[in-house]
Amino acid sequence: MTSNVAAIGPDMPIRDVTTLMELRRFRHFPIVEDGSGGARVVGMVSDRDLRAVGSPHPSARPDVSVFDPVRLIMSTPVITAHPDDAIEDAARRLRRHRVGALPVIEDDRLVGIVSAVDLIEALAGQRAGHQPSSLLEVEVPNRPGGLLGVLGALARLDLNVASVNTTRSDADAVAFAIRLDTIDAAGVARALRDDGFTVLWPVTVDTAGVPT
Amino acid sequence: MSTSGGAAAGSVRFVSAPELDEPMLGADHPFKAVRLPLTRTLLEHAGLLDPTEIVAPERIDPRLLYRVHDADYVEAVKLAARGDPLDDAWTYGLGTADNPIVPRMDVAALRIVDATVTAAAVVARGEALRAASFAGGLHHAQRARASGFCLFNDLAVAIELLTSRYGLRVAYLDIDAHHGDGVQAAFEERGDVLTISLHESGRFLFPGTGFEDEIGRGAGLGTCVNVPVDPGTDDASYLEVFDLVVPSALAAFRPDVILLQAGADAHRFDPLAHLELSIAGLIAVYERVMALADRFSAGRLVVTGGGGYDPYRTVPRAWAHLWCEMAGRRLPETLPASWHAAWRGRIPTELPTTALEPEDAGPTDDARRARIASHNRAVAHRTLAALTPIWAGWRRSAHHDAPL
Ligand SMILES: [Zn+2]
Repeated sequence: MTSNVAAIGPDMPIRDVTTLMELRRFRHFPIVEDGSGGARVVGMVSDRDLRAVGSPHPSARPDVSVFDPVRLIMSTPVITAHPDDAIEDAARRLRRHRVGALPVIEDDRLVGIVSAVDLIEALAGQRAGHQPSSLLEVEVPNRPGGLLGVLGALARLDLNVASVNTTRSDADAVAFAIRLDTIDAAGVARALRDDGFTVLWPVTVDTAGVPT
Repeated sequence: MSTSGGAAAGSVRFVSAPELDEPMLGADHPFKAVRLPLTRTLLEHAGLLDPTEIVAPERIDPRLLYRVHDADYVEAVKLAARGDPLDDAWTYGLGTADNPIVPRMDVAALRIVDATVTAAAVVARGEALRAASFAGGLHHAQRARASGFCLFNDLAVAIELLTSRYGLRVAYLDIDAHHGDGVQAAFEERGDVLTISLHESGRFLFPGTGFEDEIGRGAGLGTCVNVPVDPGTDDASYLEVFDLVVPSALAAFRPDVILLQAGADAHRFDPLAHLELSIAGLIAVYERVMALADRFSAGRLVVTGGGGYDPYRTVPRAWAHLWCEMAGRRLPETLPASWHAAWRGRIPTELPTTALEPEDAGPTDDARRARIASHNRAVAHRTLAALTPIWAGWRRSAHHDAPL
């Protein structure tokens, strides 16, 4: 989320909004109106909305020029996020409403804006922990205790789990990417396979029979 | 550095001592010290290592160690090795699956630091042009944390010696299959140390770092080079990205000395990583390093070992080839029978009989190889795209020796 959001009023001319957008290098602006209850987000405007003005694009309104107020082209109603929303929920809302960014609103107050790129980066960042770690990908039955068996086996091997993510899921099975505090992911995979678990990564390096 | 005063052209040193042949983390640990006597005896039986070339490790100035590691961490390692109870062992990465607490491990780890610092000192003092410390190369050890089988970072301590005591600009080149995270972290904000690491991508392999956008910070912006390659990378693709990135980095940085971490776990037999280099591919890398040292650091080269978890078939043969490249010698096509005889019954498997591997490495999937090579090439170009403008700035700068 970007916290430092420029406040734009609904009456700012479209031309000025375009200038501001180029200056700030943002692609989405919330439009904020001051009222009796304080500042309120009344709409959103994107770089695409601005570029459409005066263009022959079918979605462009022929009666609007760059000197008109931005309120004429802003999108409403506003689809918002809360700072405590789950990243996945925000991502789902972006996709369902086909918008590129959500204003983040806490108690009617605008506190930031979150874009699709922010969300991708946050999800990617979850994969690696802060400590050095190895990747283990396991597939477990999609039923109670499926993952617990793997985690128990890892604890018995004295390994710490730095992060867990679902990589794939269907009715029968779920695959998890687990980051572990060991360099010897191969040894862990061997131990789990010996216990009957399905390990997708690391693959076995079996060179026992290769001529030297 | 001025010129290497007393160093005879081509003179080489091999740091070795009986205690370096003992396992630091226990006999059952995958980090096998037996790789060292296997390498040394292979060279001796083949007549490729002269007794006058062997040097024992000198004791280092302890202050050097504390430039790299926090005092409380060093103390924790010592206490743990003595068997004293340690409440916060885990926060120091001690007593973990990778770094179990083993009696006297502190002494063993310090001996490894002594060995690598000795190799560096021998080169810095001009007593030899090239020196090897195959016991060293513990590149994962961090300032206050053991990691990935590594307790003390012998490489970082050797770099401290070369920079602070001798005022040399050091280029660190890491060809281990894993990212050299500990060394990078120690120097990523320094302008007088260049770290280059080629490794299997952190997406797949420990320690999960070393991406192409890690390029150093502050005064060290541009002095950190990472080329993460895909699992399955073969000789041709590895050499292609090596040639794309390494010579330009050295040309931009202009080192006085090169420190090579030569982990042998990029070989296709290694059970802990998934790169698919052959012995011939490793030799091609070693040849390039020698040529680069001649071209950019007046031949001055310090070499360490590192990873390598196929300890009988792969590591001794790889490092023997590396020593031969350093010394301008050549392993005989058929390895000496007396070497095999000396080890018979002492190790659990057969030793290799030839200097190279059979040409036929089994079936290959050409489409897969091409795809991997294409991706690796794109990654290497991204690395260069981020760094080239910074390097161009160094060249324009009047103060050539101090990239800002
Ligand atoms: Zn390694």
